[in-house]
Amino acid sequence: MSTTSTQPPEQSQLSNALARDRLGVAAVVFFVMSAAAPLTVVAGVVPTGLAVTGLTGISIAFVAVALVLAIFAVGYVAMARHIANAGAFYAYISQGLGRPLGVGASWVALLAYNMFQIASYGGFGAIAAPLFSDWFGVDIQWWILALICWALTAVLGVLDVAVNGKVLATLLVAEIVVVIAFSFADIFSPNFSASSAPLDPGTLVGAGSGALLVMAVTGFVGFEQSVVFSEESRDPRRTVSRATYLSVAIIAVLYGFAAWAMISAAGDDVVGRAANEGPDLFFNVASDQLGGAALHIGHALFLTSLIAAMISFHNIISRYTFSLGREGVLPRAFGKTVPGTGAPKNGSLAQSALGLIAIVVYAVNGWDPLVNMFFWGGTAGGLGVLILVSITSIAVIGYFLKHPEGEDFWHRIGAPVLSTILLIIMTYLAIDNIATLLGVEPGSAPAIVVPLSFAVLFAAGFVWALILRSSNPQVYAGIGLGARSATATGGGGFSAALASTEESK
Amino acid sequence: MATSPQLPLADDLFLTAHDSVKGKCQLSPATLGLGMAAALIGELVLWRRLDLVDGKIQIIDDRPTGDPAATAVLDQLLREGHHRAIRDWISFLATGIAVDLVERRLSRAGLVQRQEKRGLFGSKVSFVPSDSMIAGWPATRIRTFIGRGEMLDVPDLVLAGLILATGLDQHVFVTLDARGRSQLFDQLKRRLPAMLHELVSQTEAAVGDAVMARRA
Repeated sequence: MSTTSTQPPEQSQLSNALARDRLGVAAVVFFVMSAAAPLTVVAGVVPTGLAVTGLTGISIAFVAVALVLAIFAVGYVAMARHIANAGAFYAYISQGLGRPLGVGASWVALLAYNMFQIASYGGFGAIAAPLFSDWFGVDIQWWILALICWALTAVLGVLDVAVNGKVLATLLVAEIVVVIAFSFADIFSPNFSASSAPLDPGTLVGAGSGALLVMAVTGFVGFEQSVVFSEESRDPRRTVSRATYLSVAIIAVLYGFAAWAMISAAGDDVVGRAANEGPDLFFNVASDQLGGAALHIGHALFLTSLIAAMISFHNIISRYTFSLGREGVLPRAFGKTVPGTGAPKNGSLAQSALGLIAIVVYAVNGWDPLVNMFFWGGTAGGLGVLILVSITSIAVIGYFLKHPEGEDFWHRIGAPVLSTILLIIMTYLAIDNIATLLGVEPGSAPAIVVPLSFAVLFAAGFVWALILRSSNPQVYAGIGLGARSATATGGGGFSAALASTEESK
Repeated sequence: MATSPQLPLADDLFLTAHDSVKGKCQLSPATLGLGMAAALIGELVLWRRLDLVDGKIQIIDDRPTGDPAATAVLDQLLREGHHRAIRDWISFLATGIAVDLVERRLSRAGLVQRQEKRGLFGSKVSFVPSDSMIAGWPATRIRTFIGRGEMLDVPDLVLAGLILATGLDQHVFVTLDARGRSQLFDQLKRRLPAMLHELVSQTEAAVGDAVMARRA
């Protein structure tokens, strides 16, 4: 571009250059959906959930959660327009409810996201092992397969290689096509009899409703990332909100329909079949209509879906860690990148270390990778996200009470209050039903450890923020502003140099 | 020990960003762009053409500086009078404009040369220091001053700040011992003028932003 050409003043080169990369609704929807991994949810979470909880009302749960999240999104997207670092729940919570709660939330989010990541390793191992034996006649332990894709994720993470956007989009479209095709095959299968169980609203108030809701929330995780593009979208007032509603609606309809078709075609004892057949249930019920080739394509996409989700999630976690490192909420070392690539290396390494430990612990103890790692990890992460969404919903009210400018009543108060009430009920039910969700006895170790670990981390983050407030007020002031803030703190080497002469390496 | 000649700020940063053995750029293209953009704005501040106040650029003197690269940026600032946010200007100049201007200035001075690398998917043109020694000049100068316990001048303080902001310190300052490091940081803290401090902070934030948005 020439800088000496004469332009009429109304034709701003600067505005044009900065507007060029702006995203439209479709691009944002794609980004959100790619983290959602449809096959992982429909073929992985739903059948495993049927087996573990014995609950069938999953379709109505998807719809209910979608409605609540859509109401939540009204205030969430509105607030994103006013704050920096949108896309991170703790940024909302820091500004709406105060920094101590924000730091607590940031640690809870880190745990929840890591649970998803670790769940995907277990899921891949458990799902790939029988497929490899079927395809290649080799029996490989699940943890060896999990370690292979862990290593792939770790290497790509440190090098900061993202899965190419076009590859992701292609995989996503293929996955959606497979989900739809298999669901229609279900409808035309001889065993099909339209079941009302998946759509029974009664299940949402009955026993185990909290478990169903958490399973459904798990399917929506990633929708919160839409607001990351608030500053980069074509029309800040419309693009992101439309994309968010559209994503939530697509996910609800797709997952709800697929789950309904599968349960309807599985016969009377769907829970028993889910327990016996596991994730294959989704493929089995449609297989007589579609034949072997479709089955293989479906299986292959199932695995690529998991790998793509794994790599995307790993990148989200390492960037999240980077952002916290830059703020000084986590050690500064996490705020460094590899200069040549911009890769947030230390965050990536830390995530990989955690993943390795989890795989080894599960392998050594002989715990089940599908139920205890994939399903527990996924749904526990879903519970964490539900808790975060609930607190964020309160934070939106808090923020707009202090800064009412520029938004109308519905965006500031109406929708946020409504969603807060609904979310608090959901969170209460979820924690109350945690034993059902995990398929264990009430009061047994997993049912206590999962909510307790969130509570402990939340409290620890809260205390850490209070320590920062007295020991390092500059860092404290920057909490929630993210890597993009240029305030006194919130930076890398330069701010670290200014903040403390001893600490920086 | 003789110190090497001091070049304009952006030139010094460009050279520092390149490996002193192979001449390879050690920053990602996006980060290099942000560094060059900030350094050119910094040059205009040093020329007393601009003030940076509250995140905004104010033109205090619209006369050309006599340097084509800095003047080109000043002209652009004059033409686009309604845009004043420092952050927007760093982002805008980082789209290739700043790197281009600096590369041209350096190649006129004979300090960099065009290099065409043929790869699998077409060829890539880049400018690399014409002599691998040259790339090390600015960093060596800063280290020498610090080693002797002397004061850096303001342009070198900004350079050191931008080295930290772009993450180049992981290459450039690793050889500094703890004492040298704390000396340097101390000088930055006490002697970097407020406007340039703001410029470096804004640059660092822009670099962090690029990492978060996967543009880095």
